[in-house]
Amino acid sequence: MTGSFTRRNALKNLAGMAAGILALPAGRACKAAVRNVFAISQAPPGYDPFKHKWLMALDVDRCIGCGLCVEACKAENSVPDNDFRTWIERYVITRPKAGSGESRGDTFVDSPNGGMGGFKPSLIPRDDILKSFFVPKLCNLCENSPCSQVCPVGATFESPDGVVLVDKNYCIGCGFCIQACPYGCRFMNPTTHTADKCTLCYHRVTRGLRPACVEICPSQARIFGDLNHPIHDDPLQRFIENNKTQGLKAHLGTKPRVRYAGLDEEVR
Amino acid sequence: MKRLLKMPPQITRLVLLTLVIVCIYFGARHLLTPQSFGQYGHYRANALQEIAAREPFWAGRNTCDACHGEIVRKLAAAEHKGLSCETCHGPSKAHVENPEVKLPRLSYGQCVRCHEASPSRPAWLHQITPVKHYTGSVCTECHVPHQPNEVP
Amino acid sequence: MNPGILGNAVEMLPQLQGYAYPNERTLQPLWSVLIVVYPYITGLVAGAFIMASLVRVLNVKALEPIYRLALLTALAFMLCATLPLLFHLGHPERCYEIILTPHFTSPMAMFGFVYAWYLMAVLLLELWFDYRRDFVEWSQTQSGLRGLLYRAFTLGVVDISEPALRLDARLGRIISIVGIPSAFLLHGYVGFIFGSIKANPWWGNVLMPIIFILSAVVSGMALCVFAYLFLCWARRVTADMRCLDLMAAFLFYALVMEAAIEGLDWLHRLYSAEEGIDVLRSLAASKLFYTLLIGQALMGTLVPLLLLGSLQLVRKWVSDLNRRRVYFSCSSLILLGVLAMRWNVVIGGQLFSKSLRGFMSYKMEFAGHEGWWLSLALLALPFFILTVLIKYFLAPDLPTIENVVPGAMSRSHSPDARL
Repeated sequence: MTGSFTRRNALKNLAGMAAGILALPAGRACKAAVRNVFAISQAPPGYDPFKHKWLMALDVDRCIGCGLCVEACKAENSVPDNDFRTWIERYVITRPKAGSGESRGDTFVDSPNGGMGGFKPSLIPRDDILKSFFVPKLCNLCENSPCSQVCPVGATFESPDGVVLVDKNYCIGCGFCIQACPYGCRFMNPTTHTADKCTLCYHRVTRGLRPACVEICPSQARIFGDLNHPIHDDPLQRFIENNKTQGLKAHLGTKPRVRYAGLDEEVR
Repeated sequence: MKRLLKMPPQITRLVLLTLVIVCIYFGARHLLTPQSFGQYGHYRANALQEIAAREPFWAGRNTCDACHGEIVRKLAAAEHKGLSCETCHGPSKAHVENPEVKLPRLSYGQCVRCHEASPSRPAWLHQITPVKHYTGSVCTECHVPHQPNEVP
Repeated sequence: MNPGILGNAVEMLPQLQGYAYPNERTLQPLWSVLIVVYPYITGLVAGAFIMASLVRVLNVKALEPIYRLALLTALAFMLCATLPLLFHLGHPERCYEIILTPHFTSPMAMFGFVYAWYLMAVLLLELWFDYRRDFVEWSQTQSGLRGLLYRAFTLGVVDISEPALRLDARLGRIISIVGIPSAFLLHGYVGFIFGSIKANPWWGNVLMPIIFILSAVVSGMALCVFAYLFLCWARRVTADMRCLDLMAAFLFYALVMEAAIEGLDWLHRLYSAEEGIDVLRSLAASKLFYTLLIGQALMGTLVPLLLLGSLQLVRKWVSDLNRRRVYFSCSSLILLGVLAMRWNVVIGGQLFSKSLRGFMSYKMEFAGHEGWWLSLALLALPFFILTVLIKYFLAPDLPTIENVVPGAMSRSHSPDARL
């Protein structure tokens, strides 16, 4: 069989190479255009994400269910109407039936509009209530976050300072991360068509401010701090030292960093 | 080289086609991957700056201290010390930037929002049933918001 | 407007029973009908390919009449596989990111590579090796655009001597062998996408990839039976009963395996009764009653099992016509049953809250980019493509020379069986 190394083939190859060389300037222009799309925008100068480790903690016994944090977050982050970056759940546990031998009755959970505007009185009569409390919920800042594990393109990630963020300019909107989050803290933003979630008010904490929900909370139910740079009489350190804390759904292995104190077993 | 050329034409054609496809892939990857990708991890490092570039909405308690230090000190000494100014007074950034801009008047609703009694609220909170406690609409008749233990 | 009143009104709406996280209270499920259609399509591809592989790899001569049809069916569906995903994405224009910066911890990132590998290195390559000789012939005998098309497909290789054809056969066989695990990968990774979500107890399960693969094989085989019977009827050609009976036998045994593994899944869930069992049992019995218990289990699995199984025993006493009727109805039932299975997995997993305290209801829309019309169109499109492919590559007016090379594909001698 004669080889394919004929004059015809050689000329074809040379033509191919020439075309490739001529395409280089066009390629460079494309690259520059693409780079412009991903250009750096103005951000707080001098902030080094490797020097900080942010954490939020929640004291369930301090939450009064006013819902001001939900409103504060909506205003701070322009969160769409039916979506929530943070929300409050009300748990009402009824008394067990007399003689049933049970320690508690049924559990009713509600979160009307995420708790925004506060809670109307529960429909369950006061005398039937064994105990009731409010639980604020938000992104649990997981160490083994299942959401960033399943993102197919690298649009959601754990930042070096401990915040799980979504790059809305890179997200393709597949929704895998929303399905993978066990805590229900993610949603599909109807305007940007990308995944969206609590960012721990990254744009505030990088400027030395506190997240909006922490700022507005009237009862210190939300405690925030930098684990790497505790301030004088740091509320976060005090909270961790003085309380027995736990994370939500620990059995799933997501290693949620957000600490809750005063949780009941009924809280999922 | 001769041995390579002696391979059946099916194989040489397919190998050539594969090489072309692979080259196109790596070329596209080089051209289209954002520059800051992979810097800190499998994501665009520039995203951190883009997310942090958003303008904050709430001014924050510390900004009020600059001009209203008196009130902030009174507040810090009493039961409402944990409250941020904007919790009751609302978003104040406009006022910080231009003190001529006045904030809206506060109302009865603001106090009731937190202090209305509910079986779900913890015991340490002072709670009232509004209809039983006071039929008017001005809580400040009997209470001083910045110093709740005082009377006006 | 007092937001508190609105909040309570939302709670009383019938869309929500019990409690669901606020972000779960959407009007439409996040992964909607399009995501039901996608695994269905790739499942059909994998299954049709497995059927074709039985010929090449296991030398099941009786199935030769459907070899090319199975491969072309796989190709037609494969070409449409990305469409439901593209329509579903929030930013389809960024879809290339999945290939350029794949995040290797994500099963979804495998999609680009597995799809490209399967389409190019398995399907198209196997088709090329089988059709190469015909392309050379047809490029010389067919005129005009068709002739040019066939010439392009020869990739410039015009050697159809005996040694070259022997090489084709050998390489085709190697690709078939490689293709079987590739087919498992093509559909298995979709099962893994669901199986890896530990947040959702309906999905996050080690058996999920296996169930997906087995139901894919079953659906693909059923599609081959269905397509073969339909084509024979359309061309007024008698079906090769030996081929059909064997296809149905393979379909039956595949269905047995699939039913066994799915039964195992349910048995294990009920037995170990883990945290979510109450809400899942309620889901299966009430919200998914028609699609799961009636559609998937009864009509899609049990009835075909009984019919096909009994035919295995009493085949001798059943006439050809009646057997064809049974095969046609069983394959249709199975095709619908597997579609119901995809529905039950995808939509079912989104009907209950991850708080395990409540259910959501959705209203499926007809129009819109996640609506019924689009899904039906995407399911119908591969059949149109298949018609075109059959016209160009499997038409009876195209001459095929008897292949007398030993070890290579030998065509069936009866002209009736040759499609």
